[in-house]
Amino acid sequence: MTRRLAELWLRYNLNRWGFIFIVLLLLALPLPQFIAPDAKLVSNSLLFSFTQMFMLVTLASNWNLTGGFTGYIDFGHAVFFGLGAYGTGVMMSQLGWPFWPSLFFGAVIAAIFAVLIGSATLRLKGPYFSIAMLGTFVAMREFIRVIKPITGGGRGLTLPPYLNRPLFYYLTLLLAVFVILMIARIRKTEFGASLIAIREDEVGAEMRGINTTLHKITAFWIAAFFTGLIGGMWAYQNTFIDPDVVFFESRTVELVMMTMLGGLGTVAGPVIGAATIYWLRDVVWANFLQYHLIVQGLLLILIVLFLPEGIMGTLGDKSGTTIGRIVNRWFRKPAEEAP
Amino acid sequence: MDQFIQALINGVMLGGFYGAMVLGFSVIWGVMGVINLAHGEFVMLGAYITWVLNKQYGWDPFQAIVVVFPIMFLFGYILQRILINRIVERPHLISLLVTFGLGIIFANIVKLIYTASPRVTESALGGFWPVGNVTFPVTKTYILITALIIMVALWIFLQNTRLGKSIRAAAQNKEAARIVGIEIKLVYAVTFGLCIGLTGIAGVLISPTQAIFPFMGAPLTLKAFAITAMSGLGSIPGALFGGIVLGLVEVFIGTYIPGVGTNLGIVSSFVILVAVLVTRPQGLFGGLKPATEVS
Repeated sequence: MTRRLAELWLRYNLNRWGFIFIVLLLLALPLPQFIAPDAKLVSNSLLFSFTQMFMLVTLASNWNLTGGFTGYIDFGHAVFFGLGAYGTGVMMSQLGWPFWPSLFFGAVIAAIFAVLIGSATLRLKGPYFSIAMLGTFVAMREFIRVIKPITGGGRGLTLPPYLNRPLFYYLTLLLAVFVILMIARIRKTEFGASLIAIREDEVGAEMRGINTTLHKITAFWIAAFFTGLIGGMWAYQNTFIDPDVVFFESRTVELVMMTMLGGLGTVAGPVIGAATIYWLRDVVWANFLQYHLIVQGLLLILIVLFLPEGIMGTLGDKSGTTIGRIVNRWFRKPAEEAP
Repeated sequence: MDQFIQALINGVMLGGFYGAMVLGFSVIWGVMGVINLAHGEFVMLGAYITWVLNKQYGWDPFQAIVVVFPIMFLFGYILQRILINRIVERPHLISLLVTFGLGIIFANIVKLIYTASPRVTESALGGFWPVGNVTFPVTKTYILITALIIMVALWIFLQNTRLGKSIRAAAQNKEAARIVGIEIKLVYAVTFGLCIGLTGIAGVLISPTQAIFPFMGAPLTLKAFAITAMSGLGSIPGALFGGIVLGLVEVFIGTYIPGVGTNLGIVSSFVILVAVLVTRPQGLFGGLKPATEVS
C-alpha cells in the first residue's frame, strides 16, 4: 500500500503544492457533514461561501488556460459563463428540462460558441484579441437582451428553485478538483508544452510544426466548456438570471486579477489568487460595500504595478521584481546547493 | 426617401461626434502604445463637469469647453506623470489592466458622489431647422461644427508646431527621437494631457444629446477602439471617416429595424471591428503608424 502510494507520488511528480492540495482536499471533503441547525462552526452561509470560492477557483484556472499558458489575454471570458447560465436557464424554465441535461446543454453551447468565435478572434494578435473578446462580451449581452421571446429580455428568467447547499458544495468542489488536476496534467503533456511555446514565440512554434490555430482553439473551447458548466450551476443556485447579472463586466476583471495575483501560467497561481481575493472580499470589504469596486480597481493597479509575476512568481527563485528580490534575500538561505 | 435622407443626416452628425471622441484614444495609442481602456470614463468625467457647470452656474454646455479642456488637460498631465509613465514601455497587458482599473475607479467615484441616476444638461441651442421635408437638429449641428473645429485644430497643431512635430517623431521612432534631443517623458505627458483634454471636450459634446450616468463609458471605449482599428492610429481624417461609418450604421439600424433601439449599435461596431481587423489589419488610412506594429 505504502509502496503503491509512493509509486503514484513519483509517477505524478507531486511536489510541495501537490501535497498541500491533497491535505486541503481531505479537509474540505467532510465539511458539509458538520452542519447542524445551531452549528457555530459551519453554517449554511459558510458552505455557500465555499461554494462560491470553488466556482471562482474553477473560473480562474480555466481563464489561466488561455490567458496564462497560451498568452492570449481574454477580456470577455464571462461571455461563456453567461452562455452556460442562459443555456441552462432557457432549457429549464422555457422547455422544462431537468437540471443535468440543461447544464450539459449550456456548457456545450458555450464550447460551440468558443470554437466559432475563437476561429475568428484567435487569429488576432495581442491587444486586438483582448478587445475583440471584450466586444464579444458586450455584444452578447445586448444580443441576449434583444431576443426577448427566448431569453425574456431585460426582465430575465426565473429557474425552478432548489435549495440544497451540500449538493452544490460537492458539485463545485468536484469540478474544481477535476479542473485543477486536468490543467496540471495538460501542463505536462505535449499539448501544454505547445501552448507555452505559442505564448513564448508564436511564429517559432508554427515553424516547428505546431498547428497553432488548432491548439489555441482547443485550449479555448476546453476553458469555455468548464466556464459554461460553472455558469449553469451558478444560474441554478441563484434561481434568477438577467443580462446584467450574468454578463457582469467586473467578473472578467476579477478573473484576470485573481490569476495575476496568484501567478500567470502556473497551476497553483489561480487557485491561490482566487482564494485570497475571495476571502479578502468576503471578510473585509463586505463591511464597505460602497467602496468595494473602487478598492477592487485600486488593488488591480497595485498588483499589476508591484506584483506583475504574481505570488508564485515572486516566491520563485527567478523573480525579477524588486519585491521578489527582497523576498529572496531575506527569506532564503544564501547558498542552497543541490545535493 | 425623406426618411433615408433624415437618417443620413443624423448618421453623419453622430459620426462627427464619434470622430472627435476617438481622437484622444487614437493619438495616445499611436504615440505611447498605451490602449486607454478608461477612455469612455474620461468622456464621462468631462460630461459630469459640464453638468455641474450647467446645473449650478447655469452655463451653456458649449461654454463649458473653456473650463473642461484645461481641467482635463491638467488631470491627464498629472496622471501621466504619476502612473502612466510607469507602464508606457511595458507589455500591453499591463497598460490594459491599469487603465481598466482606472476606469472602474473613476466610474465608481462618480457614482458615489452623484449617484447612478441619469442626468441631462440643457443647451440654449435647441430646436430644429426644417429644410424641405427633413430637419436639422440645431444642437447636433453645433456639435458637428465643434467636432470639425477640434479636428482641424489638432491637425494644425500636429503638423505645424514644434511640440506637435516632436509628438509625431516620438510616435514614429522613440530611439531616434531621443537621439535628436526630444525630451520624451515631457512629450508623453503633454500628449496624454492633450488627449485627455480632447476627450473631455467629447464629454461636453455628448452631454446635451443623451443622458449621462457613471457607467456610460464602456460602450464608448469599445466604439473608440473599433473606429481606431478601422482608421489607423492617430489618423485624423481616418477618425472622421470611421466615426461617420459607425454613426451611419448605428442610425440606419435604429431607423430600419424597429424594436431594437440603438442597443445593436455596439453589436454592429464589434462586427465592423472584427471584419476590418481580419481583412485589413493596418487600418484603412495610414495614420501615425500602422496598427499592426504595436506589440
